[in-house]
Amino acid sequence: MEPSAQPILDVRNLSVAFNSGPRQITPVRDVSFSIYPGQTVALVGESGCGKSVTALSILRLIPSPPGRVVQGTVGFGGRDLLSLPEPEMRGVRGGKIAMIFQEPMTSLNPVYSIGEQIAEAIVLHQRVKTAQAYEIAEQALRDVGIADPARRLQEYPHVLSGGMRQRVMIAMALSCRPQLLIADEPTTALDVTIQAQILELLRKLQRETGMAILLITHDLGVVAENADVVNVMYASRIVESAAVEDLFDRPMHPYTAGLFRSVPKLGARAERLAAIPGTVPNPAQFPGGCKFHPRCARARELAARAAAEATTEIMSDGESFRVPRRCASEEPLLREMEPRHWAACHQVAGYDEKPPTEPRIEHKRASVVQVDGEVTA
Amino acid sequence: MSQVPANGRPLLEVDDLRTYFPVRRGVFLRTVGHVKAVDGVSFSIQPGRTLGLVGESGCGKSTVGRTLLRLIPATSGSVRYKGEDFFSYRGEELRKLRRQMQIVFQDPVSSLNPRMTVGNIIGEPMQVHGLASGSGRDEMVAGLLERVGLDPAYVTRYPHEFSGGQRQRIGIARALALNPNFIVCDEAVSALDVSIQSQILNLLGDLQKERGIAYLFIAHNLAVVEHISDDVAVMYLGRIVEQASARDLYSNPKHPYTMALLSAVPELNPRPRRRRIVLPGEVPSAVNPPGGCPFHPRCHLTRQAASDADATETAEITVGGTKLRVLRRCAEEMPVLEQKQAEPGHCAACWVTK
Amino acid sequence: MTSSTATSVMTGAKAPAARPRSLMAIVLRDTVSQLGARLAVAWIGLLILGAVFGPFIANSFPLIARVDGRWESPMWRYLVPTDVVLLVVFIATIILCGVRQMTVPVKVGIVIWLLALVIPLALWAVLARDLSWYRHEYGTGLVVISLGVAFGLDLAVLVLVPLKLPLSSRQWTILGLFAAALTGILVLHPVKPPTTIIYDQYRELGRAGRMQFSLPAPVPYSPTDRLRDQPDAQLLAPDTRHWMGTEINGADVFSRMIHASRVALAIGFIATGIAIVAGCAVGGVMGYFSGRVDMLGMRLLEIFEAIPTLFLLISCVAFFGRSLYLVMVIIGLTSWSGYARFVRAEFLRLRNQDFVLAAIAAGLPLRSVLFRHMLPNGLVPVLVSASFGVASAILSESVLSFLGLGLIDEPSWGDLLNQATGQGGTFTWWLAVFPGLAIFLTVFSYNLIGEALRDALDPKLRDGASD
Repeated sequence: MEPSAQPILDVRNLSVAFNSGPRQITPVRDVSFSIYPGQTVALVGESGCGKSVTALSILRLIPSPPGRVVQGTVGFGGRDLLSLPEPEMRGVRGGKIAMIFQEPMTSLNPVYSIGEQIAEAIVLHQRVKTAQAYEIAEQALRDVGIADPARRLQEYPHVLSGGMRQRVMIAMALSCRPQLLIADEPTTALDVTIQAQILELLRKLQRETGMAILLITHDLGVVAENADVVNVMYASRIVESAAVEDLFDRPMHPYTAGLFRSVPKLGARAERLAAIPGTVPNPAQFPGGCKFHPRCARARELAARAAAEATTEIMSDGESFRVPRRCASEEPLLREMEPRHWAACHQVAGYDEKPPTEPRIEHKRASVVQVDGEVTA
Repeated sequence: MSQVPANGRPLLEVDDLRTYFPVRRGVFLRTVGHVKAVDGVSFSIQPGRTLGLVGESGCGKSTVGRTLLRLIPATSGSVRYKGEDFFSYRGEELRKLRRQMQIVFQDPVSSLNPRMTVGNIIGEPMQVHGLASGSGRDEMVAGLLERVGLDPAYVTRYPHEFSGGQRQRIGIARALALNPNFIVCDEAVSALDVSIQSQILNLLGDLQKERGIAYLFIAHNLAVVEHISDDVAVMYLGRIVEQASARDLYSNPKHPYTMALLSAVPELNPRPRRRRIVLPGEVPSAVNPPGGCPFHPRCHLTRQAASDADATETAEITVGGTKLRVLRRCAEEMPVLEQKQAEPGHCAACWVTK
Repeated sequence: MTSSTATSVMTGAKAPAARPRSLMAIVLRDTVSQLGARLAVAWIGLLILGAVFGPFIANSFPLIARVDGRWESPMWRYLVPTDVVLLVVFIATIILCGVRQMTVPVKVGIVIWLLALVIPLALWAVLARDLSWYRHEYGTGLVVISLGVAFGLDLAVLVLVPLKLPLSSRQWTILGLFAAALTGILVLHPVKPPTTIIYDQYRELGRAGRMQFSLPAPVPYSPTDRLRDQPDAQLLAPDTRHWMGTEINGADVFSRMIHASRVALAIGFIATGIAIVAGCAVGGVMGYFSGRVDMLGMRLLEIFEAIPTLFLLISCVAFFGRSLYLVMVIIGLTSWSGYARFVRAEFLRLRNQDFVLAAIAAGLPLRSVLFRHMLPNGLVPVLVSASFGVASAILSESVLSFLGLGLIDEPSWGDLLNQATGQGGTFTWWLAVFPGLAIFLTVFSYNLIGEALRDALDPKLRDGASD
């Protein structure tokens, strides 16, 4: 990868709001990240953290009303997708940026054959004849490792298994040679052996086509093995953004560190898991200050050692304890604590010396998973 | 069938359990075939211990849990609870015995009756079984809520007011209400966020230590199963293909399917060390499973073995349009679950591994 | 400040401070919060008021009169048992709704309940021995008023107190049977209207100058008062005396309209009630046991669905004579198949829901599994379709009356509509417009309510609103 390449996608200060009855909730706030050509960038977080809404708003797919982008830009090919006229946006969607979804069972239309569905997208975006579109579709199915693609084109979605449908979705997404693929929890609904097939397929296709991937997932293992750059989201914000090796070697944000500790790992039999206390906050009721402070182990530890006037008492889940006053009152912003490593936490050493900046990380991972066996289905 | 050697009497013994679902067609619902969801499963669980049951979706692991609690009728086989034949119980006796065997479900949304308050959800079973009533009941419900980490003031609330993790705690409190000896955890943490999953796993572990409850822990997440289980059984297409203590199974898998499963779990490491075995194809349909060893069309070990073996001992099969050579025995004969030499109690159903 | 926000977040509840509400309560609130549904509920409420207070609103007999120097309230004497039952039930319901928050300690509650049972019985014993004061100079009216109010209150107590007590279902049944029997005795015995009714007697008295004072009902005509004392009263166009004109026999249309709301409501609710009970029973059994039972049940449903309701109604009316109850039963028994399908589908779904399995695994008896855990969750689509069912039952009755096969002497909207086109081909507009409008509004209202209920219950809309 050339060192001075321009990012293919540049999301700056994106905020999305939803009207919910009389109130307004903000599931995405001030989110910035970049994706360079050929890069896999992960957005990782738990339910309700805003990762899927971020992905949908890049393609302007959030239902509006009640949702709307209140702030920010999405730079793609030198233009802001958020201000593009709708007809041009339709050309981008499915053409230059494709998306695959979590639920392969519902994302294919059951009344049309596989061929009709793929060919429709190809005819629309590449301006070719139907017969030619079928040829491209057949090749696309072959590319995603589906055996006997000519016969599969005639079949209807209900005869396919979950893994097969996800392959068809990927084939459909890639049939127009997109520059960016947004994969929203692409393997969550699949079994672990099928997940391995699909992820290997995505890696292979990325090597061959050089497309960039925005990988949205809650599975830290999937992130560790596939991403180049990781953005950890918690309660509407990116709290940590780093190259994958740096993040897993030295997590800075207490949430990231807590997540790593709380996941059971194969081959490491621990008596108890180091759980993060409390519940995942609901977008309608985010706490003030740093949104993680009611669950933060580091904040509690520091407050126990700090002077009383620097701390404040809070109630969380029926439990009362002290945290640093600053954590409860002031929202931390992302700062570059080390090269290629941004974090948003008041309590990281040296946080105050650094200025708040928006992360841009151009990095490609060194190692990939070694695979035995072929990935055809 | 072979069993893990027992030290003392097992709490639960499952022998050759089969659950077939008829496939019906037409106006008069003629049976045209069977889905063999569970096809000859045997295991036993000691008091206060955990047996993990892993496998991919459709392998029948949830059906095992539901069949042995008699939520689904078994086609054949037996379940002995404390030495007594649970399947022979009827009516009132059955209701009384159900008390001791409970279940925690996967989906925190559908597992709680949306029309009942938390107090009634937990308290009704107690009342029906005469464990407590009136103010005694309220006290016990409050105590249980506190034990599972919820505010006792929540008794008057309805399930829709809680988050997924909290609902799962309510589900656990309901299972505990009858003071059971045995709980089936059917994907009990699979639907939860990572940070909540570890809380619930810790809670389940603590409860086991306090009350000596035995678990049948059904899950597809291998790391979670390894963390909580003493023994583990791996299922494929309605059968147990490998069974061993958790330590043995994870450090030294004997069945090729277990090997592939373990290698497929993503590592929490940006520099992955394991080599991944990618299985070709998908899990076959349980209506019409392959003959011989049901795993042979996807098995990497039999293909390797066939390439080294004499041509008379191999057979050619077609999988998804490509021709493969496998051992003739794998394609024709069903392997039985047998002791592999390595460790005591480590069984696998495979012709290739020794 | 910070701590308070943190608290509300971490409890995970959507409404931390408010009293916990059941899903049903929220659904009802959402239903009624829509403007259309509100108007519809208002219209149905108006009909209920008309049905309950019909005799007070439209009556040929004055509410209070002074005849020959004696005060009396003749209206009360002509109340039929149905009028009284409706009145008592209405009052009891209002009181019940008003004091729902009240709780009573068990012992106090039982004492109150026994008193409420014993006092009226004692009173009744005294009254039955000496009925001479029944003809008191203040007239029967006041006696009946006071007795009615007393018994109404008593009944309310009888119903209320047990509701506040933690009782088992068997005790509940016993109390309920007691209360029902008592209601029967209390209400039916003293209410004995005269068999021959002379509607114009008070108008005669007025004309003869024997009435010193009279407070007439707002509409001073009974629905069956054919104004025999007035010549040419038939088919009068609306004017200030007859706001909606008179019909073919000379009865006041407005009065008939008000009294007909009772038939409209009863036919809708009772016919739909029968259909729901039958549908839930059959559908529930089919869904829970499935397999062969389900297969036979489906064939039964298909047979019932093949019966043309209107033709059955017409032939039954031709054979067995005209009866409101017959019509209700027939409509009910031919329209349950839709509900049965809904309940069956719901039960098939619910049977595999984890909370139902959990109830079975907890060793709960079948009764509890079916009625406490499954039925309340399966009733949702039934409720929605019931509101449409009520509307269609009203239409069926109107059609029957319009065809001239309705009730003979009971006022009904369809019957009025029927009269709009006379034998000679004449068209009487006020006999078409007013009942037509009433039918339209009622059916429309039920449809609006059904629509609102469906929206409120739709989980997609619900999620969209909350997340």
